[in-house]
Amino acid sequence: MNIVIERIPLKRLISSLSLLFIFSFNILAQQGDPVNGKKLYNADCAACHKLDKRLVGPPLKGISEKRSNEWLHAWIKDNNALRASGDKDAIAIFEEYSKIPMLAYPKLSEQDINDILAYTDDKPLKTETDIASSQTVDPKVAIGKKLYQANCAACHKLDKKLIGPPLGNIAEKREMDWLKLWIKDNNALRASGDKDAVAIFKEYNGMPMTAYPQLSDEDIEAIIAYTSVGDVQKVAAVTGVETDTMAKPNSSSNWMSYVVIGVILLLVVWIYLQSNNAFLKIIATIFVLLLSAYITFDWLMGIGIDQDYQPIQPIAFSHKIHAGDNKIDCEYCHSSAKNSKTSGIPSVNVCMNCHKSISEYTGTTTLSEKDKAFYDAEIHKIYDAIGWDPDKLEYIENYEQKPIKWVRVHNLPDFVYYNHSQHVTVAGLECQECHGPVEEMDDLYQYSPLTMRWCLDCHKETDVDLKGNEYYAKIHEELAKKFGVEKVTVAQLGGTECGKCHY
Amino acid sequence: MASNKKYWKSVEELKENSSIVEKLKQTEFVEEIPTDQFLGDKETLESSSTSRRDFLKYVGFSTAVASLAACEGPVINSIPYLVKPDEVTPGVADYYATTMADGYDFANVLVKVREGRPIKIEPNKDSEKGNANARVQASILGLYDDNRLRGPKAKGEDTDWKTMDAEIVGKLNELKANGEKIVFLTGTCASPSTMGLVGKFTEQFGNVDHVVYDAISEDAALNAFKKMYGTRSLPDYDFGKAEVIVSVAADFLGDWQGGGFEAGYSKGRRPKNGKMSRHIQFESNMTLTGGNADKRVVVKPSQQALVMIKLYQAVVKGIATREASPINNAVQKAAAQIKKAGKKAVVVTGVQDENAQLLALAINNAIQSDVIDVVTTKNVRHGDDAKVVQLIKDMKAGNVGAVIMHNTNPVYTLPNASEFTEALKKVKLSVTFAMTPNETANASQYVVAIPHYLESWGDVMIKKGQYSLVQPTISQLFDTRQFQCTLLKWIGSNESYYDYLKGQWQANILGGKSWNKTLHDGTFTVAIPESEVTINEVDMNAVNSAVSKIKGSDLELTVYTKIGLGDGQQANNPWLQELPDPITRTSWDNYLLVSRIDAEKLGLKNWTVDNGALNGDLVNVTANGITLNNVAVYIQPGQTPGSVAIALGYGRGAGMNDEMMIGANAYPLINSNSYFQSVSIEKVAGEHKFACVQLQHTIMGREGEITKEVTLADFVSKPKDDWNAAPVFSLDHQEVTQDKVDLWEKFDDSLGTKFNLSIDLAACTGCAACIIACHVENNVPVVGKQEIRVSRDMHWLRIDRYYSSDMTVEKGKEEGIFGTGEFFNAQTHPSDNPEVSFQPVMCQHCNHAPCETVCPVAATSHGRQGQNQMAYNRCVGTRYCANNCPYRVRRFNWFKYFDNTEFDYNMNNDLGRMVLNPDVVVRSRGVMEKCSMCIQMTQATILKAKKEGRAVADGEFQTACSNACPTGAMVFGDVNDDSSKVAHLEKDDRSFKLLDFVGTKPNVFYQLKVNNTNES
Repeated sequence: MNIVIERIPLKRLISSLSLLFIFSFNILAQQGDPVNGKKLYNADCAACHKLDKRLVGPPLKGISEKRSNEWLHAWIKDNNALRASGDKDAIAIFEEYSKIPMLAYPKLSEQDINDILAYTDDKPLKTETDIASSQTVDPKVAIGKKLYQANCAACHKLDKKLIGPPLGNIAEKREMDWLKLWIKDNNALRASGDKDAVAIFKEYNGMPMTAYPQLSDEDIEAIIAYTSVGDVQKVAAVTGVETDTMAKPNSSSNWMSYVVIGVILLLVVWIYLQSNNAFLKIIATIFVLLLSAYITFDWLMGIGIDQDYQPIQPIAFSHKIHAGDNKIDCEYCHSSAKNSKTSGIPSVNVCMNCHKSISEYTGTTTLSEKDKAFYDAEIHKIYDAIGWDPDKLEYIENYEQKPIKWVRVHNLPDFVYYNHSQHVTVAGLECQECHGPVEEMDDLYQYSPLTMRWCLDCHKETDVDLKGNEYYAKIHEELAKKFGVEKVTVAQLGGTECGKCHY
Repeated sequence: MASNKKYWKSVEELKENSSIVEKLKQTEFVEEIPTDQFLGDKETLESSSTSRRDFLKYVGFSTAVASLAACEGPVINSIPYLVKPDEVTPGVADYYATTMADGYDFANVLVKVREGRPIKIEPNKDSEKGNANARVQASILGLYDDNRLRGPKAKGEDTDWKTMDAEIVGKLNELKANGEKIVFLTGTCASPSTMGLVGKFTEQFGNVDHVVYDAISEDAALNAFKKMYGTRSLPDYDFGKAEVIVSVAADFLGDWQGGGFEAGYSKGRRPKNGKMSRHIQFESNMTLTGGNADKRVVVKPSQQALVMIKLYQAVVKGIATREASPINNAVQKAAAQIKKAGKKAVVVTGVQDENAQLLALAINNAIQSDVIDVVTTKNVRHGDDAKVVQLIKDMKAGNVGAVIMHNTNPVYTLPNASEFTEALKKVKLSVTFAMTPNETANASQYVVAIPHYLESWGDVMIKKGQYSLVQPTISQLFDTRQFQCTLLKWIGSNESYYDYLKGQWQANILGGKSWNKTLHDGTFTVAIPESEVTINEVDMNAVNSAVSKIKGSDLELTVYTKIGLGDGQQANNPWLQELPDPITRTSWDNYLLVSRIDAEKLGLKNWTVDNGALNGDLVNVTANGITLNNVAVYIQPGQTPGSVAIALGYGRGAGMNDEMMIGANAYPLINSNSYFQSVSIEKVAGEHKFACVQLQHTIMGREGEITKEVTLADFVSKPKDDWNAAPVFSLDHQEVTQDKVDLWEKFDDSLGTKFNLSIDLAACTGCAACIIACHVENNVPVVGKQEIRVSRDMHWLRIDRYYSSDMTVEKGKEEGIFGTGEFFNAQTHPSDNPEVSFQPVMCQHCNHAPCETVCPVAATSHGRQGQNQMAYNRCVGTRYCANNCPYRVRRFNWFKYFDNTEFDYNMNNDLGRMVLNPDVVVRSRGVMEKCSMCIQMTQATILKAKKEGRAVADGEFQTACSNACPTGAMVFGDVNDDSSKVAHLEKDDRSFKLLDFVGTKPNVFYQLKVNNTNES
């Protein structure tokens, strides 16, 4: 299996180098670093903004095209002040977004803001232009689609046999009246001696279909209309090549930093070779020494930190499709997170709960190399593992099952004890707080550094909810009585003691 | 001070000015780091071609390479289940109730299973026999024994089940046609369903006999009981009801009659309302029971039967033997106490002589003892020596067609093993059911590979009316098939054993109760209908005359079992091999126990070498016409002069790792006609190196003050300060208590949970179950004999054994030995019959811990919950902490003990590593480790309570040791919870802290031991 691991101490080295130069000379100040920008964006903006959609605040993709740079800087640093100054745009936005003021970020430097803007500009997220949406879709079909998905999709597909027969263009095969009778009460129809009804019943192993007396004639017509039209194929219009977007800013900044390093080094070499100025030579030496010390230190500190580790998995499982598009709860698959120290990688039988009936990808794809055929093949890898025959819709007997060897993304050293249930069940943390926007990740990567400092920082800042849990009742009472304290952090309850995690 | 006793761990300490003892007191690490070994001497250094500059280059280069190599982490795969069983949540342990019944140990246990793999055995406290001794807890390693058979074998070659079944059934049918005899030779089999299957087999094949053979036989007791009460089984005893216990050579805190009596015994040993039981022990070698006794009388084996007669005469007949000997004196006093206590007294004997056993039963019957239970009898031993002897005769004569052996290893355990092996060759069909290719398996034609009991179904009736189920906790690791399944196959049944078992239970035992509930509970009790006990007339005069004919000899040998290895079934278990014997404190060995007087006579010596390790002379032992060569001699304080003893279970030779094939096999020395042997020993050249830990971890040279004892009389009548005084300090020439003088600032720990561990020395019998429990729970490595010798044992928990003697003129007069040679000896040689006390010591989790202040990297620190925490990944191995620890409880990882062929124990193979606890890290080389107060368990308990939104109930907090303790001597809990048991115990008068005058304020405390010295 071709597993490519992106571990990036070198990348870090280069980006730290480039950052160093950026800060030292500020020559690239206007450019902005999208890598840093992404970090800042995730930390400060992502809670309320999405790149391509309205969330609490407006979408930020390409915002610098809409607003001037100065205005944006002023707005981000203190939008209240800007509004107070009578800026029309500022007031308009305030009105538009239900008068919820944005948090002010005076802590962000000019450079930070430039970085963020570089990120929002440089990373055009898949803006799928739904060609079909420009086509006129019959409202009846739209209603039909909804009803179909709510009532029929569990057992029927348009183009394939599932539990029941395929329904695509069913109107061509059966009369509308017959269909209405059948859908409303197929048992009664069969009882009345209808030949077709009896034949279908026999063909499908004597499994009666659920009766839908609640559907009106219009509803049924709408459904049939939908089955005749089918899904309008969405054509992915790729405005930017998605896969390159991550690499692109990196390579551009790398390119920049290489140039800068080259220039500086040339300068240093020139000083050594050409200049007679001893002072300059000393300065250059000190500079070179400091630079190498900084680089070495930064590089060494990064060893063992696998933030952004994004291995290639044996199955291109997309959290974006499952948790993002289909909004499957994290704990549906990672069910042991609430009970156990491990969150648990779902066993294949959990996949099969849904994938018994979902054998092909029906969402939209935006990536040329990850099209429907690609995802369908990935789904079939599950069948291959557990031995499911998607045509006969049954498990293959005496199949030699092949366990799936996932590549573990989040690795803690053996000497660390971490318990998911403590954080998920007791503390009530959202998965995203440590794992980042998983619902947006096509390929999962390690969002947090998972360093001890990262753990401890959170433990020092987080208050323990003493009131909701009877376990803390006594300690809460004593705290209140003895010290008049109402709030304690995890650290104050012993959450930074070595032995709590190392044993 | 509690008493003016002098305590010592080793006779070496009794020598004045022993430089070795002095050195051991001063230094934590007796072995210098052998720098010369790797640096070499000056000459070699100079001749070396590596200059200092080169050396630095190498160091620099290797550092750079190492750090570069560390940049890329390995790719770690995670492989989930394909279909996850519903009951499994990865990371959460399941517990299953099952039963261990290997013919020697019988116990109801809970098995902790993680991700489908059993990792720990705990006592099933909801059941009657819910105690798990050291061997039971260690038995889990047998499941992961790399030497296990992977499949069936025929004549030494691998075969498959089909062929083997066909061949064997063919031969069985042939034998049946010829009317030849088929014999089952098994260990004690208390399984009703298995007996049922043997019955079915008998129906099918006609001439079938079932011979039960116990390696360590209770034949005499069984026969005596049958004579008197009509059934061939063992009575049960509840020592908790006893006020006076007189034991003649019965090691009932060890393995006597199946063991398991410690819980009841210790109940009576805690003073309550000024009362506790009085325990008098007559014995020849120092046993665990003798060590716990209030009064121990040394009696030669041949004299023990006479003691029984005298007791019988005095108690039943009322005739006091007049004889001026210390033994008779003690017997008469004991008899008087028995008579006084009446129903609340009991006499037990371990003398393997039917008549001696009859005398004990007669005495207990005469006093109508409440302690003995003759109705709900025990099934833990059924071996019939006479039938075994007859079987071998028949085999030799060619009268046996087939021998089918299960759960027994006669080729190793029979005294006449070679005779048996020869006889086995004359048998047409020999089949052995075995887990490992042991001695008997190698001597048989067919070897049927059977699963471990944790992979098997089954049932056991340990006691009459008390049924237990055995259920598998893991699917079978290898291609094995259990005995019962095979029997079903051979009788041509297609039924699975599970169905058969369930059917039998539902038809005969459950009486309509739920099978699933019973399986969950592990046990099921059927009420035994009340019935008159009928007692057969036994001619006691004949018994008396038979006993009085027993003739002694100059030197008498007895065999005994150690709590570690028992009968030797689990000899391939490194945990048990490394477990120090509670009395001799020696691991990895058996040896001939000799008294000081005999040793001096024969010129035998033990000596302590410079690093505190013990060496001894070697002897040839001849008894019963058989000579064991080069047996090590261990001079045992308290060994009766004129007697020697040797432990069974060692000297195995097949189906195990080389490291474990140690010691001498003492089974050939047994003679079934007599419970002791006349023996001659002869010193031979050479020396033996013991792995003895008795001088190790010598605590600051303060043995005199370390353990505390008090007599019952003083405990009742004198104020606490007389026998358990808090230490006082001089501050400004004033005597003040400890809280006034302190180097440390006070830390408010009254908030939240604070863990304390209480250890009741009155209830601790030294059984060592806690040591194994700690071993398993905390992934403690096994280090091997050589490392133990150089004080590098890794046990987080040790049980110190102290000898003491307080012989004075008054005491001498009182005991009637003043003026005799014995008195002289007792004064000059306190080691001849010392008193013994046990003291489990683990990290004391000091609130003011000396180790924490000296760690240069703050790797050890104090938790708010009272635990002294050790961050292994932070430790750099300076070992300052161990040097500064007054209790000597820190252990250093001198080597990498896993994946290292130098330490070829369970952590060196994939199978053996499956037993590791995934919640506890395996420590690497170069770091310090120690008892963590099972922080992984306390944290898990807290998390469970948090998740369920409730406070933690008292008793929920447990450590591995407190959970395993069969006597309840260890109590663990939250001392800040006023209602908890441990908080009450801390305020108890008997409570004291170890070396409390050092001011470390430990979170472990002890309850001092009380001795009932009341002689009347």
